[in-house]
Amino acid sequence: MTAPVRAVGRGVARTIALIGALARFFIRTLDAVRTLPRAGRRVTARVLVKQIWFTALQTIPLIIILSSILSFLVISQAVRELGRIGATEYIGRLMVVVIVRELGPLLTAALVASRSGTAIAAELATNKVMGEMNALEGMGIDPLHYLVLPRFGAVVLSTFGLTILFDLVALFAGLVAAMSGMSPERYFDIVLQSLTFLDVWVTLVKGLVFGAIVGLISAFHGLRISGKPTEIPIASSQAVVGSIVAIFIGSGLFVLLSI
Amino acid sequence: MKEVALRFENIRIPGLKDEGLTLEIHAHTAATVLGSESSGVDVLGRYALALLRPSAGRVLVFGEDISQMTRSAALAFRRRVGYLPADIGLLHNLSLSDNVALPLQFGSSMSEREIEGRLRIMLAQLRLTDVAKRRPADVTEEQRRRAAVARAVAFDPSLVIMEDPFDGMTTRAAAELLEIVRGGETPEGSRRTVFITGRSLPQSLEPRIETHYKIARGRLNVRT
Repeated sequence: MTAPVRAVGRGVARTIALIGALARFFIRTLDAVRTLPRAGRRVTARVLVKQIWFTALQTIPLIIILSSILSFLVISQAVRELGRIGATEYIGRLMVVVIVRELGPLLTAALVASRSGTAIAAELATNKVMGEMNALEGMGIDPLHYLVLPRFGAVVLSTFGLTILFDLVALFAGLVAAMSGMSPERYFDIVLQSLTFLDVWVTLVKGLVFGAIVGLISAFHGLRISGKPTEIPIASSQAVVGSIVAIFIGSGLFVLLSI
Repeated sequence: MKEVALRFENIRIPGLKDEGLTLEIHAHTAATVLGSESSGVDVLGRYALALLRPSAGRVLVFGEDISQMTRSAALAFRRRVGYLPADIGLLHNLSLSDNVALPLQFGSSMSEREIEGRLRIMLAQLRLTDVAKRRPADVTEEQRRRAAVARAVAFDPSLVIMEDPFDGMTTRAAAELLEIVRGGETPEGSRRTVFITGRSLPQSLEPRIETHYKIARGRLNVRT
């Protein structure tokens, strides 16, 4: 009779423990900025640049393709449907709210999680399996300084930059889709009129927060394993699933906070 | 009277049932502590680096009780000690030369140019120049071990801790690596203090090691 209650209780306790462990890991990662030795800054910066290359620069073509297709589909449908009722001026708000503010940061972060989050989790888990954590500690190098901090920073910066790129590409792809029903001047006029300072602010903050979520959860699951090789794919899978769930919850919280 | 570089005091290990392990390693000497897998000798190196804390007793390195160190002090202390772990621990996604450079980049105030110079010398000394740009998975076990030795001594530490360092190596290669780790001779003895733990040691290396400890049948035997 009490078994289902116990099972639910265990699940809730596990989730709370996981959130607590993530919060502690986040604080330790932030504190690593303060404790990073002066001599190690150059190496850490080099790892950060390398990670930006993998996470941001190599993802640019994918972001351009996805953003332009999504924007083209949404705006071309909207032009047709809203044109029937003579409400094409709502395309501006549709573009800003649905694509720029909501889907842009959400899809960009999901893409970064599935592409780089899995790779980071697998790489850190492999470091652990191969005894490299012990070797780093033995050399006096904190794995947080050398492995976590630059990857976390790179994912935050990359997600932020890719979100801006996603939205810019979406705006121009929307123009192409809207040209069947309106002039470019009219399109930019209604889009820019719909765009408020709050929209820009929320989009940029989301880019940073979602980047931090992906970077943190990926590194956390990579380092969480006990050291068995069979745990590497599990860490990757937990990183991507955990990141995407957290991004969606975060997106919901942003909506609640902005109401 | 020689300075004591490393001192274990009443450390509990499985190989010594009735008493704690107490031993000293003098500066400018090489010393081994050998024992079976179950004896617990493999944790001594990690105790000496404050990677693990003993459940009882204490470890003194150059007179300082390292079990009392804070984490940041322990990290700074380890950046002054050479370490060759049993599983070598080279980073799989870095080339051999980047692996050797890592402790220099992270723990020294050397410029990029000075690090490059030091790196060239180390790679040549360890005969790794031709494979320096390869990753650990693309070289032989002996080359991996050579790279790990280069990494352990690249910043010229006064104390080097090695776990099972010559496992699977030829006697000749092991002798060569031991000489590199000793770092030459001074009037006091070897330039560096070398602490080796493991199962066994090639017999031909014994004359180059000043103190031999062995844990067997529940007792600690010493031979100098």
